[in-house]
Amino acid sequence: MKTEKIYSAGIDIGTSTTKMVVSRFLLKNVAGVTHVPRIEIIEKTVLHQSPIIKTPFLTKDIIDMEQIEKFIFQQYQVAQISPADISTGAIIITGESATKENAREVVHTLADAAGQFLVATAGPDLEGIIAAKGAGTVQQSKNTAKVIANIDIGGGTANIAVMQFGEVIGTCTLHVGGRLIEFQHGKVYSISPPIKQLMKHWSNPLQVGDSAEDARVAQLIQEMADFLANTLSGQLQDAQHPLLLGHLPNWHKPVDAIVFSGGVASCIYDHDCSQRQYDDIGEKLANMLLQHEQLQAFLWLQPQETARATVTGAGTQTTEISGATIQVDADVLPLKNIPVFNCSSVATKAFDQIVKTAVDRADALFSLDDHRVPFALYFSELPYLSFDDVHALCEAILRYLGTRSSKDIPIIIVIQSDYAKVIGQTLQAINPTVPILCIDQIKVETGDYIDIGEVLPSGVVPIVVKTLAFHSK
Amino acid sequence: MNEQLVSMITQLVMEKMTNTSGTSSETAPPAEEQKQPLIKFYDSAAKHTEELSSPQATSDQSLIKLYQTASTKDYSHNTTNYDVSTTVETAKAFQFEEQNVSESVQAAKKHTPARIGVGRAGTRPKTKTWLKFRLDHAAAVDAVYGEVTEALLQKLNVFQVTTKVTDKEEYITRPDLGRRLSDEAKTLIQSTCKARPTVQIIISNGLSASAIEENVQDVYLALQQSLNNLNIEIGTTFYIDKGRVALMDEIGELLQAEVIVYLIGERPGLVSAESMSAYLCYQPRIGTVEADRMVISNIHKGGIPPLEAGAYLGTVVQKILQYKASGVNLVAKEG
Repeated sequence: MKTEKIYSAGIDIGTSTTKMVVSRFLLKNVAGVTHVPRIEIIEKTVLHQSPIIKTPFLTKDIIDMEQIEKFIFQQYQVAQISPADISTGAIIITGESATKENAREVVHTLADAAGQFLVATAGPDLEGIIAAKGAGTVQQSKNTAKVIANIDIGGGTANIAVMQFGEVIGTCTLHVGGRLIEFQHGKVYSISPPIKQLMKHWSNPLQVGDSAEDARVAQLIQEMADFLANTLSGQLQDAQHPLLLGHLPNWHKPVDAIVFSGGVASCIYDHDCSQRQYDDIGEKLANMLLQHEQLQAFLWLQPQETARATVTGAGTQTTEISGATIQVDADVLPLKNIPVFNCSSVATKAFDQIVKTAVDRADALFSLDDHRVPFALYFSELPYLSFDDVHALCEAILRYLGTRSSKDIPIIIVIQSDYAKVIGQTLQAINPTVPILCIDQIKVETGDYIDIGEVLPSGVVPIVVKTLAFHSK
Repeated sequence: MNEQLVSMITQLVMEKMTNTSGTSSETAPPAEEQKQPLIKFYDSAAKHTEELSSPQATSDQSLIKLYQTASTKDYSHNTTNYDVSTTVETAKAFQFEEQNVSESVQAAKKHTPARIGVGRAGTRPKTKTWLKFRLDHAAAVDAVYGEVTEALLQKLNVFQVTTKVTDKEEYITRPDLGRRLSDEAKTLIQSTCKARPTVQIIISNGLSASAIEENVQDVYLALQQSLNNLNIEIGTTFYIDKGRVALMDEIGELLQAEVIVYLIGERPGLVSAESMSAYLCYQPRIGTVEADRMVISNIHKGGIPPLEAGAYLGTVVQKILQYKASGVNLVAKEG
């Protein structure tokens, strides 16, 4: 049976390193001939892995966007792919790079320049999940009942994602990384703010210019490893701890097994740090984790990718394929950064009231000063609908969204269950001129953003669900 | 199937059994006098086939009718057992033991409707599993022997015709007769239906009347809407009692239809007795080969949602008209 090829790019701008992958997806109708088609990605091949370069900075707080752009286009040339051929993928800014002044500008500009449909993403929880996917840990957890934690330790942060049966059940991000203390010529060259915070109550904190072999360096590494072990074993209670970034661990099952990915992990599993040529605490941290008694209590599993886990995840794991029976107005695609509002209480079938409330609340959330932005209404808990129910729902949608819609602001409906085609057709039957995007079999939440790519020949659209939360300092 | 119902039936059976053993001389159960039960137990289903046509239940009607024709001596040698248990068990309501399935089994269950992780009692399935199996099997039998109600046909505004088949037994044993219209049907179709329609929609109970009862309205309405959106003309829809799939050839010949969409009940299984298929064919005529037919199957609440199926069928019809082919020929022409 026919297959379809699409190309995807992934770019990871991390605290210390930047890298990129180009991959090819094979799409195929996997449903039997007597069924409604179901298009899935059946094969992912990484075509090109870039070298890992040092993230370029103009000053300490400003990322050198031009350098990164040059790097990306150079890699496209090496991979012999034109940016116009890239129909999906993601660019992610991670770790401490996401806290830089121009972080937001960098990802959005690069996403627009570096591919036909490349998605900008950020956010510590998402980093952890993308890394776990790229490291193959999510796939690994599908084959076992064990609760597995993937710990992606890069230069600036450790992003933990915990999963079971292939579902992520919690995340947590820590200021634990290889580059939090840097050395130069055998002396401490820089100490990152969270570490300084950690030493606040010390009588004699480590200073820039102290020896790299100072006992306090080892003590700090020990503290980081202890903190990580406590987090994994569910003993972390202090929400104000200087090494915690964001929320406390939010999984409710004890972790059975652990997998490390990220730059520091290449030192853990390969026992050589040839991939990391940086004068910092990365190697010492890896050794400390290997010997840490509390961590030995967990089952240690192997990742498929270490240093390139996040970029592989961004390039190969962020794209979803919509259901095959959808209704889309091809002229309005692609659409980027569409906020999602979840009308969760549809179980009652009082559609008019529900849609009215949802539209009002979504306007309050997303629109600034009467400047209407398009948003997607998401129906997650639709009960079994009859033809009359669908008509009632569609009339309600058109009543509150029909008059304001235009080419720039189409009606965007996302449905979890398989109803997109009939709802789309019903909207069209009632009002044939209004632009409609009605897609299904996608799971999102209020607060997520979705990017919808152009219609592929098989009639499906690629979708990337993401968050755009930038770390605050 | 409904767990509450299984539980309720079991309780009634248990009470029945304890009653019988206690007062073994009384054989006429009071439940027998009540009308319109939801579920009936038969000692021999074959003798009572006329009773099987899906009875309706309302709140004041009894749920269960038990035919106690088996002789009471079956129970007599167990009398002591039941006597002991009667005093204890009638006091509290019957309840199945709780199911303790592991997380892994729960995770696996999400991926299949098959009866996995149900446990066992010795070498046999547990009562609950067994009852569920019987209930699903009974639903399948009901689906085959049931009839589509007149009310539904009126709601859809379709008239009814028959095939050369006279009764259910003949329908099952003589598929060839289900592929031919009766003479009255031919006359009626020719006098009533629009000739040379672009799309002719036909409906038949086939092997599952429940499939039509449950799904046909939503599929039909969504398909109509979809074809209207695409400006495709629809002929006069009608219902065929006891039709087979290949009957569409004769109808295509009779009406000279471009495309026929045939909604028909599928042979029921133990997962669903309510599954419907939509067969499509470009210019079906007497002598059309099976390779020219195509089908969208598994249309029911737990499979392809009926509404979505109807909406999708419209686009399939559009494609068939565009390529002037269906089935294997369509795949070949599409390239």
